[in-house]
Amino acid sequence: MAFLTIQILNSLLYASVLFLIAAGLSLIFGVMRIINLAHGSLYAVGAYVTAWLVGRGIALGLPPGWLFLLLPLGALSVALIGIVIEPLLLRPFYRRAEEYQLLVTFGLIQILEDSIRFIWGGTPLSADALMDALPIIHIGGLLYPAYNLVVIGIGVVAALALWVAIYHTKFGVMLRATSQDRRMASALGLNVGLVYVMAFGIGCFMAGLGGAIVVPTQAAVLGMGIDALVIAFVVVVIGGLGSLKGALVGALVVSFVRTAGIQFFPELELAVLYLIAALVLLVRPTGLFGTA
Amino acid sequence: MEKTPTVTPTVNRRAFLNTLGVTVGGTGLIGAGLVGGSQLLKAAQDPAKGRVPDTPFRTGHMTFLTGAGAVLGEPSIKGHTMAAEEINAQGGLLGKRKIETITADEAAGTDACVKEVRRMKLDAKIDMFTGVISSGTSPAVGPVAEELGLLTILTDGCTDFLFDKAIPNPKYVFRITNIQSSDGITAAIGVAQTWPHVRKIAHIHPDYAYGRNASEHFTLALERLVPGTEVVSESWPKLFTTDFAAHITKIMSAQPDLLVASVWGGDYVAFYKQALRYGLFDKMKVASTIAFGVAPHAIGKDHPEGVLAGVHSNYYFTYPGGDRWPLNKSFVQRYFKRWNEYPNFQSEGAYMALYLLKSAIERANKLTGGWPEDEAIISQLEGLGIDAPSGYLYMRPDHQAYKDAVTGFSKNLPDYEFASWDPARIITIPIRNITAPLGWPKPGTTHNESTAAANWIKTTWPKVVG
Repeated sequence: MAFLTIQILNSLLYASVLFLIAAGLSLIFGVMRIINLAHGSLYAVGAYVTAWLVGRGIALGLPPGWLFLLLPLGALSVALIGIVIEPLLLRPFYRRAEEYQLLVTFGLIQILEDSIRFIWGGTPLSADALMDALPIIHIGGLLYPAYNLVVIGIGVVAALALWVAIYHTKFGVMLRATSQDRRMASALGLNVGLVYVMAFGIGCFMAGLGGAIVVPTQAAVLGMGIDALVIAFVVVVIGGLGSLKGALVGALVVSFVRTAGIQFFPELELAVLYLIAALVLLVRPTGLFGTA
Repeated sequence: MEKTPTVTPTVNRRAFLNTLGVTVGGTGLIGAGLVGGSQLLKAAQDPAKGRVPDTPFRTGHMTFLTGAGAVLGEPSIKGHTMAAEEINAQGGLLGKRKIETITADEAAGTDACVKEVRRMKLDAKIDMFTGVISSGTSPAVGPVAEELGLLTILTDGCTDFLFDKAIPNPKYVFRITNIQSSDGITAAIGVAQTWPHVRKIAHIHPDYAYGRNASEHFTLALERLVPGTEVVSESWPKLFTTDFAAHITKIMSAQPDLLVASVWGGDYVAFYKQALRYGLFDKMKVASTIAFGVAPHAIGKDHPEGVLAGVHSNYYFTYPGGDRWPLNKSFVQRYFKRWNEYPNFQSEGAYMALYLLKSAIERANKLTGGWPEDEAIISQLEGLGIDAPSGYLYMRPDHQAYKDAVTGFSKNLPDYEFASWDPARIITIPIRNITAPLGWPKPGTTHNESTAAANWIKTTWPKVVG
């Protein structure tokens, strides 16, 4: 039983991080109709910046509790990058064919991945001081790091906050209006440019937050962004691109199925995810909650 | 007619490990090489004979410059660069030809790598090709190098498949790192030597050629060294996965005595950090083929002690240690001075590839004078013995290098900022005792095993009793 409990917690942990990445990807697509291939690399930047900040913090003698304040800082740094690249790099391509958008965001992957290697080198960067700042708890004679529960909690809070922001605030109304009809929203006096930059910033913040909270449990390693992008695509294919609910359900499906695969069908660990994605595409080509 | 059942000969474990020549304690330096090699950095060099052109000698070094593989690619480039700088500081090859390097990114994918090798030879006019890390790349570029007549020293990409199947009779392609099957066998010997009482075994390997090879050869060897074991859990994470929480819980739920792992690079760093917090290392022994294969400083001080932390059976910078093998001491010092970090097996392999070439060229020049043709260099490379930081290195006539397989146990020493090897528990095995001998039938000839090594083990290894 204890093992089952821990596997469920493991799945929720993975789902939290996946949700943060996929929700950002979906939000950006929902508002701007652009598939940001560099989204995974922005997640990686969040992880690297956070690990680097934690390293600096420890060197400066910050007490462990204070290090937790560096998590949102890592996420904010990614949001800042987003706020810069949306108007400068992406906006000129919204009216072009999708191929151009894919090309420019693919180029962005290369730039970000190379920048990461240039700045931080090839050696993995860790931030486990955060993990060790919290106790290891006992669940039925097994160990579980309490930090992982924090990650799950952040995932839940992020999902709620995003839902409130989109469906229960004025900004959410603007966001949805722009998403439904950009020209009409503009004609009604909405500053569409501002909505775009904010939506992109929030999407990047989510990705950065995913990277920030995951890095203490693992390490920041080269290529983590590409891996994350691929899995995030599986999530949005299952859940439906552009849907917040889809990102949440997709993340849960992917992480529980992956855990079950690992536990019961180790040979099929990866294949089983793609099989589900393929099945969803066959039955509901737009994903479970997609409308596009 | 009734078939006579084949009887596997049996033997006592201690006696068997002795016949394998296993040495513990890091005192052995038996050497695979039969010939004493020349020192790398000779104070005075014999002047080259005859007319040698002073045009640069162009090498193409391919390794992972981007992506997750760069964690091994960086040390590879650094080792290569340092060797080139040292040789050039002495005037270059034969004192005349400076080594120039162009690099290519292995992360571009197999097809792109093959094209790049062609381009480097035909457009960039390289004289020699070096590098390669992935076992997916070497069997793809090997045949192309043969076809182009391109002198090649692979510094990893150690799959048995390369010389078993892809190019069974190589002419231009050499490989300087130990063959892959020796990795799993070395780990199995380490386990049999240290923990002969383990019975329930769990496995975790990256789901691609290397993980499969490591798992297969580990199991083959362990079945003979420690009979009566059973596999109680298997995990095949995707290569470059960093989330291992579910794998770890699964492994722990099977309650094995031993976990065998061939997860490497950043994946291993992420793995051990998670496994540590889940208490995995307290519940079982852990044996890895390649845990310490990354650049040494990538491993933290938090790494648990007593883990069999393999280095791809090739090289760890603290062995041979102390003043016993000055070549390693000075290599590590120079490498640290140049790059402000310690070398790994990729650094040493890439470094030695150029010195092996240098030695072959000098020998060929002594015979014939002038700049030697590729044919002459190749005939010198075949059977060449040379002193390397890792010990004696011997290039078999079939182009696969031989050096003692080595593995060790993790320990936190005050000397380093990271966990390293316990100097008292380093295990060395003469490579000839764990690889199929020269001329052993290759897969697809008289047998259909996955590797010549697998067939050799099944045919010749006795089974331990008791």
